Amino acid sequence: MYVFDKKMGRRKFIKVMGASVAGAVASSALTGCVSLGSKEHSIPTNELGIKEWGREAGEWIPSCCNMCGGQSGILCHVVDGVVAKIEPNHWNPNNYSNISSDFFDGYTEEYGCKDGGALCPKGNAGIAQLYDSDRIKTPLKRTNPDRSPGADPKWQEISWDTALNEIADKLKTLYDAGEAHKLLWISEDHSFTHIQGDFCELFGTPNYSMHSNLCDVARKASFKTVLGHDRPLLDALHSKYILLFGWNPTSAIKWVHLPRIITQGIERGAKLVVVDPYLSDTAAKAQEWISLRPGTDGALALAMGHVIVKEKLYDEEFVNTWVSGFEEYSQYVADKTPQWAEQITTVPAKTIERIARELATTKPALVDVWSGPGQHTNGVQGGRAIVALNALIGTIDRPGGMVIPNKSGNKHGHVDANEQAALTGENPRFDELKKYPLGHKSGVYTRTFSNLEQGAGPYSPKMAVIVFQNPAMSVPGNLVPKALAKLETVVVIDTMLSETAMLADYVLPGTTYLERYDLNTHWVTWPVLALRQPVIKPLFGQPTEYEVVAALGRRLKLTTKDGVEFFYRGPLSGESIEHLTQWYEDYLSNELVHGAPKITLKELKTLPGAVWVDRKGTEYEKYAKEVSAPKLVGAFYDGSSMQDGTGVYDKPKDQKGKRLGTVFGGKVLKSFDTPSGKVELFAPSLAKKNDADGQPVNPLPVYEPRQWQPNKEFPLYLINWKEASHTHTRSQNNPLLLELKSDNRLVIHPDTAQSLGIGPEDDVWVESSQGKVKARVQITRRIHPEVVGAQHGFGHTALGKNAKGRGSAFGILNRCLSDPLSGQAVHKEICVRVVPV
Amino acid sequence: MTQQKKKDHQETEISDSVAIKTRRDFLKNLKDVGACALVTAIASGGIMSSFLSMTDAVASAPGGSRALTKRKYRYGMVIDTRRCVGCKACMVACKVENKTPPGVSYTIVSSHALDRPDEKPVFTTKPCFHCEHPPCVDVCPVSATFKRDQDGIVVVDYDRCIGCRYCITACPYGARYFDFGENYTMTESGPFKKIPSPEYNQFRKREEGSSPIGNVRKCTFCLHFQDAEGRYDKESGRWPSCAKTCTGHAIFFGDFNDPENEVARLIRERQPIRLKEELGTQPNVYYLL
Repeated sequence: MYVFDKKMGRRKFIKVMGASVAGAVASSALTGCVSLGSKEHSIPTNELGIKEWGREAGEWIPSCCNMCGGQSGILCHVVDGVVAKIEPNHWNPNNYSNISSDFFDGYTEEYGCKDGGALCPKGNAGIAQLYDSDRIKTPLKRTNPDRSPGADPKWQEISWDTALNEIADKLKTLYDAGEAHKLLWISEDHSFTHIQGDFCELFGTPNYSMHSNLCDVARKASFKTVLGHDRPLLDALHSKYILLFGWNPTSAIKWVHLPRIITQGIERGAKLVVVDPYLSDTAAKAQEWISLRPGTDGALALAMGHVIVKEKLYDEEFVNTWVSGFEEYSQYVADKTPQWAEQITTVPAKTIERIARELATTKPALVDVWSGPGQHTNGVQGGRAIVALNALIGTIDRPGGMVIPNKSGNKHGHVDANEQAALTGENPRFDELKKYPLGHKSGVYTRTFSNLEQGAGPYSPKMAVIVFQNPAMSVPGNLVPKALAKLETVVVIDTMLSETAMLADYVLPGTTYLERYDLNTHWVTWPVLALRQPVIKPLFGQPTEYEVVAALGRRLKLTTKDGVEFFYRGPLSGESIEHLTQWYEDYLSNELVHGAPKITLKELKTLPGAVWVDRKGTEYEKYAKEVSAPKLVGAFYDGSSMQDGTGVYDKPKDQKGKRLGTVFGGKVLKSFDTPSGKVELFAPSLAKKNDADGQPVNPLPVYEPRQWQPNKEFPLYLINWKEASHTHTRSQNNPLLLELKSDNRLVIHPDTAQSLGIGPEDDVWVESSQGKVKARVQITRRIHPEVVGAQHGFGHTALGKNAKGRGSAFGILNRCLSDPLSGQAVHKEICVRVVPV
Repeated sequence: MTQQKKKDHQETEISDSVAIKTRRDFLKNLKDVGACALVTAIASGGIMSSFLSMTDAVASAPGGSRALTKRKYRYGMVIDTRRCVGCKACMVACKVENKTPPGVSYTIVSSHALDRPDEKPVFTTKPCFHCEHPPCVDVCPVSATFKRDQDGIVVVDYDRCIGCRYCITACPYGARYFDFGENYTMTESGPFKKIPSPEYNQFRKREEGSSPIGNVRKCTFCLHFQDAEGRYDKESGRWPSCAKTCTGHAIFFGDFNDPENEVARLIRERQPIRLKEELGTQPNVYYLL
């Protein structure tokens, strides 16, 4: 292994030289000569090999990655039916920049973006995911009725026809009994979600849930409440001050342009400050790391707000024009002094004051927050306090600030279910999403599984279809196996035999992203849509997930309100299409033609990199622009058309009218999509609501301590994070990624370790009130002394031969709980004690 | 394993600079006492240091007009550690390009804790440095590894390599790996098994008992992407895989002999460092700190 200068200085080098030279002398008789001179000779090349396998052989097919949810563009080298290499796609902005001026600077149709796109380690390792020898190859049926964890399912291999027929029969039984709503459908959130949603609609279940509520719905709720959009994006490239709370963007990459725009932002003079209990790999790139207690970020942000308000450092013009509730906010933060926050966060008051001043006086600046604070019971309010800082400094939707993206892309048309499905579909969701005032359409997994396990909830579900999700490992707590055992039938579609698949009655072999279609709108600030397409046929001849959905829909003869057999009729062509793939191609084409690109699937395939990029690009300060006159024809006003603050909609609000803008100064401006049309530091609409625990919601971004606090028995905070090497719980069987990171250690501060008598590489028990997990420690000062933590995703008991038994799964130490406002799973709210083994 | 003796190319292509002339004389004298004596002398350390100091003057003007040899290209890298985020995409891209087995990694991303209270790490990737004076080449008993005349890339001839691994010990940077014949499951069976490695444009299929199993392997700057003239072409993707995928755009690759080239400009305008400069290996990979 390589060591930097320190350990292997010149002396050592000479010694090594001496040793090897002795050998050289001994063997010199063999070669006749050893010299410093050239040993050059020609090395033969293989001309046939170049022709058959070289860069010009076969095809390069543009597509999109799905090793995580980032959807980077890829170019796949396919030779003789085998994917030989995956490279970045230079035409896809997601691989380069989230700001159009940067992307188009030097862009050519021939090459794409000037310096070429990038691809993260996972994207490069996609081949090992595709050709993983542990992939499920054929449908499996459980023959052992014992579904407890660890029980051998005694799989029986069955044919696709048998599998689809038997599953369709189970579904039909539910449907015929008027119990379609007793089907739970759970899926990943970036792949073929529309067709699954349509299936649920037409089948008659309201219970379609997706991954997001395990991830970032707290962030969504925070931003949505304050500035009316749930996913603003940071313009790091143009920023001069980047303040990140609990986010690790250069390592937990997600969008592969992030490392570039952040490091280049710093190169252009920005200061990066990272607030995190762990000195993440992003904090390693920062000029300043601010270490704090987990879940106290909101207090820190409020104290910063206190300084900014008290010293009148806020952007007065923006606040006066575009911020509502400044008075209430100012009053609230009046006593949220840096000294107050120091007690809560452990961040010195002087540091808080300095950071607040730097943030407010460096322009442009931005403040972003992700899952660190978000995955706590106080995550949404804490997030609001953080987002509020953006309002004070006035950089919302401005260059170098938090930009509200234009996410126009493909259009998913609404399907109308027939009478029976509409009736069962009107049942409440089993996860009681309505109880969460800032809940997200992705649902509330923790509620689903805790209701199931406890026999609670509005009714008793009978069947679940779980697509490319592994709740047994990814939902906090340890009750998913018990919950699934309460169902009559569990179907899992996945490429691997995950911990969840091992609990199923039927497992269908899924496809990887290299074997199927999808449309990907991107994580950039202007409209971009890229194609994922099958670069090879599914390895085992299996139907893709969307074909499975359509095949089930056909077997069930699901019809729309108009009596059309939805899964036969091509939505664009209007004709009956027997071939499942062709039918889905028509389905996608329809979404493209009626969406922003207005082109067919065939046309999308011919664009450079198979990416449609809107040339109009990023627009800033959209809120201050007037709504165009044609859009206002027949618009609905919720007050006087001359009164400031009157909301303007395309349809009356009770008919789900979409907000077009707000009246200000006699004009209809696009404004912010909040009730007041302004950025809301105080949200009166929240005051009328209760959270899922029945407590009234505070309209201010209040700091309330998270529910689970350390005590004498369990004195340490336990957190977790993501790194570039792995995605969630799904990549730990990938040998290329395991070479980067083969397990997860419990990271602990040396002072803490010493006080507990723990030495380097020691094994320990990590115990919470919910259970205990064995782990190996890594001692470093990169973590807050009151905190221990680890990379998430390891500790598999299934998934594959490589994954099993590596590292620790800390999730079971948690409670199966979500935050009561947004339904966000609270992965990071655990208290533990660490005991030497 | 016969070897056609070649004249020392460095001697024949050397310019008329004083320093080089001295070196030529130096080498000539050494030839007189015999090659074995030469290596023994270097091993003793004393002559080595004078040897190094003599060449220092020459290569201290990288990318400038006083190139070491009349080499057509002098390929190398400038790696910006401020841009490196430690993601290791380069490692995986390299592995998939060159189809290297477990334990063989032509570039390694390292994370070094700085000596500060928070142990903040610095990341960097470290390919083969294709040194001007590669110690690995000198120790090879069978002349399997050599520095290419036309572009300075240090290569291994798998057909000659006897797997003695002297070069591994000689390399002060740990850039060489022995191929023990291990395989990833996907290269053991299944469709991917038939994909050969494009290394050296040899497209060898990985088979037990045949090269490069049992050989020493190292970074080639993906020289299989060169055209007949020895040029790379970024636009068509004929570019080292690590540089092509880098998420922080931290890896600059190019020709130091071309003063207009980005890498030549970077080392002219910035203050790069090279690792273990004191050894006189004259790496062709520079770091910006």
